[in-house]
Amino acid sequence: MLITGVSRFWGCQLAKGLEAEPSIERIVAVDTATPPIELSRTDFVRADIRHGLIGKLLHAIDIDTVVHAGLIVDPRRAGARQVHETNVIGTMNLLAACSASGSAVRKLVVKSSTAVYGAEAEDPSIWSEEMVRRAPARDGFTRDLDEVEGYVRDFSLRKPDAVTTVLRFANVLGPTHGTPFSRLFDLAAIPTVLGFDPRLQFVHEADAVATLKHAVLHERPGTFNVAGSGVVILSQAISMMGKANLPVLPFAGAGMLVDVVNRAVPLGFPAHLTRLLQFGRVVDTAALRERFGVALQYSTPDTVLEHVRSRRTRDLPPAPSRRAYEAELEEFLQAQSPASANGHRKTARARPATRRRPARRGPVDRS
Amino acid sequence: MSGRAGTSRSRANGRRRLPSLQTLTRELPATAMTATGAVALRLRELTGRDVIDLESLQDLVSVGYRAVEVRNQHRAGSFAVDEFGYDREYTNTIVPLFRLLYRRYWRVETTGLEHVPRHGGALLVSNHSGVLPFDGAMIEIAVIDEADRYPRALVASFFGTMPVLSWFLRRTGQTLGHPDDALRLLRSGELVLVFPEGVRGTGKLYSERYRLRRFGRGGFVEMALRAGVPVVPISVVGSEEIYPMLADVQPLARLFGFPYFPITPTFPWLGPLGLVPLPTKWRIRFHAPVHTEDYGAGAADDPSLVMRISDEVRDTIQAGLMAELMERRSVFRG
Repeated sequence: MLITGVSRFWGCQLAKGLEAEPSIERIVAVDTATPPIELSRTDFVRADIRHGLIGKLLHAIDIDTVVHAGLIVDPRRAGARQVHETNVIGTMNLLAACSASGSAVRKLVVKSSTAVYGAEAEDPSIWSEEMVRRAPARDGFTRDLDEVEGYVRDFSLRKPDAVTTVLRFANVLGPTHGTPFSRLFDLAAIPTVLGFDPRLQFVHEADAVATLKHAVLHERPGTFNVAGSGVVILSQAISMMGKANLPVLPFAGAGMLVDVVNRAVPLGFPAHLTRLLQFGRVVDTAALRERFGVALQYSTPDTVLEHVRSRRTRDLPPAPSRRAYEAELEEFLQAQSPASANGHRKTARARPATRRRPARRGPVDRS
Repeated sequence: MSGRAGTSRSRANGRRRLPSLQTLTRELPATAMTATGAVALRLRELTGRDVIDLESLQDLVSVGYRAVEVRNQHRAGSFAVDEFGYDREYTNTIVPLFRLLYRRYWRVETTGLEHVPRHGGALLVSNHSGVLPFDGAMIEIAVIDEADRYPRALVASFFGTMPVLSWFLRRTGQTLGHPDDALRLLRSGELVLVFPEGVRGTGKLYSERYRLRRFGRGGFVEMALRAGVPVVPISVVGSEEIYPMLADVQPLARLFGFPYFPITPTFPWLGPLGLVPLPTKWRIRFHAPVHTEDYGAGAADDPSLVMRISDEVRDTIQAGLMAELMERRSVFRG
């Protein structure tokens, strides 16, 4: 199988999660940058999905499953131009390769976003998957998302025998993944839109990855909203975090203001999300529970609480991992053992560690 | 040694002074209430009638207290809203305020509440008038108090763009007039209150009072048919005179983004004071439900049936208005 966007949170966490699955023969991950975490079984190929070469790769290794996790939702990760190129041109190119004649692709999983529904005052209160936004897209990102989902629909029409799963994720919060909302919530006082208190939904990062994994391991054709059950109101989320609510954004032209400020000082909070801060968005997750068959671990309020909890210990130094000690102890004991049959190789392996031996002796001696 | 003792004594003094201040502030409202009570008693002795309505005053004070309590709870983030943003507890703090308007100000007389189903979904359909949608609030109070159910009204979508109202209406159970919202609520067994006249109804001129506007395109009947719930028509008399709208200045309305800009005898001449509604006497009549359950969900796609039921509901409400108006001797005294 092939995973795109492995240099970012979604791709690399999914690859890591799938490595433990014996049913998956081979994982090939592509991106333009190396994955941030260490992957053991995944073959990383530095390739750009915007380039036609991706088709050659697909054919050469007979890929049957493609997970398109490379959609950039957080514009801080790249410039506006690159976001558009990666999202639209990358998807177009990748799906063109997948639907080419002779392609062995039997399953396509696409990571999309609930941003595709937009956020308007006159929107329905709850979006289910088959509902379509009435207002035209107000920003480049939403427009791109429309195009991406359009390409996915084209693919499923051209390859009706393939299983196509589109997952529309709500905004993600969690201990490791930095998102526009996590950055907003890290501020001491949280700017809000004057006179507005939107309903929001979040999904915990562990649930997000688990849902992607479920889509890879099972056959679940269709489009699914992914969000923690329940809703939080922005003011409620702010109280949960014990922060101050700062209603400084005007209710007319808040997006423009954020856009202008963003140009001068990068806020890490894209202008299109200010509409969400004003009007909110809630999606129906009945299909996820009933047809997709995944029970998320965290509800929306739990996700916020969990996020708050993880933030409290973030600035402390990481706790020493017990497993690292155990590995070192094992290594030490094996190096000591004279009766080892292949002792020669073991000492050779242990050698790089000898430099750190004084630091390691403590716990070993005590035991 | 002595220095330390001194500081500890001054600290103890400080601690003792703080509760005394707290008790004072805590007892202040009670003291004020007692004083007002004495004044009210004296006034009644002097004039021979109730000048200060003590019961209403007490209600108001308790509303304030409850609101502070709930706000403190909310500060801690410990509350839950449903997916529409509805917070029952918050609503319960607001209800007494509107109950005061219901009982004391407009002295609403309600009949036919036995027609409101005590459980399961139903669509409440009413005439709409009065510039500001107080009629919705009064129908809700009637149903909350007499039928012990919390109806959810569908409001015009422009309320979603208004600061404060956008969240206040949602927090108190209202949602935007989107057919998907209504269907979702009806299917989950809620009472849904709709005003098919919409802003055409609230923006009526005084000269057009009690004349029903077109009931949209019968969308509300489609919703009822799809959800398989009864339709309960409601006639509200009195609300059409709370703001006698003499003219509608459309250019100003467009400027502010409102559906209409009313000119009344008091607004905008008296500024915010002009927003005080007139104390008319209200009557709300709930009619026997129109049953749509037997038609089946496919009937919603039959326009002739939809229009027929829509007209039936409209005629019932119009006839109810006329019947109530014939009973009414005075606009203000009923």
